[in-house]
Amino acid sequence: MVAPEQEPAAAAPVLIAARGLTKRFGDLVAVAGIDFEVRRGEAFGFLGPNGAGKSSTMRMIGCVAPATSGELRILGLDPQRYGPRIRARLGVVPQQDTLDLELTVRENLYIYGRYFGLPREGLRAKVDELLRFAQLSDRANAKVEPLSGGMKRRLTIARSLVNDPEILLLDEPTTGLDPQARHVLWDRLYRLKQSGVTLVLTTHYMDEAEQLCDRLVVMDGGRIVAEGAPAALIAEHSTREVAELRFEPGGSAGAVERLAGVLSGAGERVEVLPDRVLLYVEDGEGAVVSALDAGLRPLSTLVRRSTLEDVFLRLTGRSLVD
Amino acid sequence: MTVAAASRTSAWRVVEYHAVNARRYLTSVIVLSVLTPLVYLLALGVGLGTLVNRHGTGTLGAPYLAFVAPGLLAAAAMQTAATHAANLVMGGFKWIRVFYGMSATPLTSRQICDGTLGFIALRLVGDAALYLAIMSSFGAARRWEIVFAVPAAVGAAMAFAAPVAAIVASMQSERNLFNVLFRFVVTPMFLFSGTFYPVSRLPEWGRWLAAASPLWHGTELARAAALGGASSASVLGHVGYLLAWLAVGVPLARWRFRVRAYR
Ligand SMILES: Nc1ncnc2c1ncn2[C@@H]1O[C@H](COP(=O)(O)OP(=O)(O)OP(=O)(O)O)[C@@H](O)[C@H]1O
Ligand SMILES: [Mg+2]
Repeated sequence: MVAPEQEPAAAAPVLIAARGLTKRFGDLVAVAGIDFEVRRGEAFGFLGPNGAGKSSTMRMIGCVAPATSGELRILGLDPQRYGPRIRARLGVVPQQDTLDLELTVRENLYIYGRYFGLPREGLRAKVDELLRFAQLSDRANAKVEPLSGGMKRRLTIARSLVNDPEILLLDEPTTGLDPQARHVLWDRLYRLKQSGVTLVLTTHYMDEAEQLCDRLVVMDGGRIVAEGAPAALIAEHSTREVAELRFEPGGSAGAVERLAGVLSGAGERVEVLPDRVLLYVEDGEGAVVSALDAGLRPLSTLVRRSTLEDVFLRLTGRSLVD
Repeated sequence: MTVAAASRTSAWRVVEYHAVNARRYLTSVIVLSVLTPLVYLLALGVGLGTLVNRHGTGTLGAPYLAFVAPGLLAAAAMQTAATHAANLVMGGFKWIRVFYGMSATPLTSRQICDGTLGFIALRLVGDAALYLAIMSSFGAARRWEIVFAVPAAVGAAMAFAAPVAAIVASMQSERNLFNVLFRFVVTPMFLFSGTFYPVSRLPEWGRWLAAASPLWHGTELARAAALGGASSASVLGHVGYLLAWLAVGVPLARWRFRVRAYR
């Protein structure tokens, strides 16, 4: 089950390197001395709950927030000294859109390209291309304000590509998108990655992280608590299968004692949530049968494979999306 | 290619943004830029002026219209500059947040600041030129040197707009600030800057207020350009005072933009 190390990525040059990277806001430590490296062509993820420090990290990489301490190199350059030069080669999708709602869709793309110093002539063709990318060609001359949240998000993402960036920073790119739009976007991002763009993204969607990321770090409370390929993280921190027993809210109390005999193998364990009991085991079906034998009467049962959600629960003792 | 792009961007790209944005208001901008001088010149110069002239004046021996017109030019520039500095900066950082979008590009906070102030200055030059044209159609332009009233008015307005931009960039909320700014600073400055009558008519404390106000210095310069008769020493003094405001105000604004954009 362990994914082989990504050979090409491992050999590629390091584009982003952080050591002891720290961000404080007064007394609050948003990022508490993290180390990571991102290589050319990789899709690298920051996974974590609200307030974990993902956006603060992204803003430091995007050269729009100075680090409080620690070392950061982007494209081999120090953001403190070479912010504009680095930013010229980045595409940024901030968590909160910074579109100009009063301007039209086309004007937003065009003027953003102008900020990069792109000449007018080439830019017009680029804008048309990006309009198609965002599936907004028919709204090109409409104001941004009345667009739906998902359309605005697609426009922000299209805008971030105006300078053909080498590194694309995506802070929760698909939050607010419907499932279909998310899948379309994943497909687009996958193709960008195929064309050599390095992706750095944050998310609290497990499926997104598993789908898109070659490698990710799990952040919690400003720290990195785990790092690796999604499959490797699952193999390392969870079991092959999970049996979920659902109860009425509060009905799971007392389950642990009864389940003591159900667990057999090494690494097998029980996690009790208010309305659910999760059995981390090698054989899920077998565990369900044993649990019923032990006298538990769940409303329903489900056997599934372990996901990053389980890894997160294991590492932090908390559920990622509640 | 993208590295070269960084060197090709400049504060002009920010001016371009503000221009694209202002295009939406083009009609109302033009109407206002024409109507304001028309109404003021008619009401004050022609209407009030008839009264003032009949009763004899201390207005440098010129007809009241020729006296008040350069003062109105400077005062209008000041009003537009203060309003724009407040709205564009609060809009950029808070209402629309475009400055945050800009700061993710190769643009620097300094370029965002300079481009915003530069756009205001260009807008003022356009307004002032229009004003001058309308003035001369009223016969209030008596000599060609009156064109120097344009840099005088714009310089004084920008000397004030730069610190306004700095203050607004430092504010999280606009509610009280805008009230205080316009009610207690901009409007009184109007009254104590020799726009409507020479400040020599004011009591001593009023003259001190005038001397502190950049608008008075701009008004004196504009009036000297329009009517002549100013000593080069006084012209240098006014210019020096306005340059001093700019020399403090512009770096102050750049600094506050940097603090606000990168944190
Ligand atoms: N500008 C700021 N001023 C003060 N505190 C801040 C600022 N930005 C972030 N923080 C704090 O830093 C911590 C980390 O915030 P950050 O936005 O990096 O988290 P996040 O992982 O992106 O969370 P989310 O998933 O909610 O977006 C939080 O406690 C937040 O309140
Ligand atoms: Mg965030």
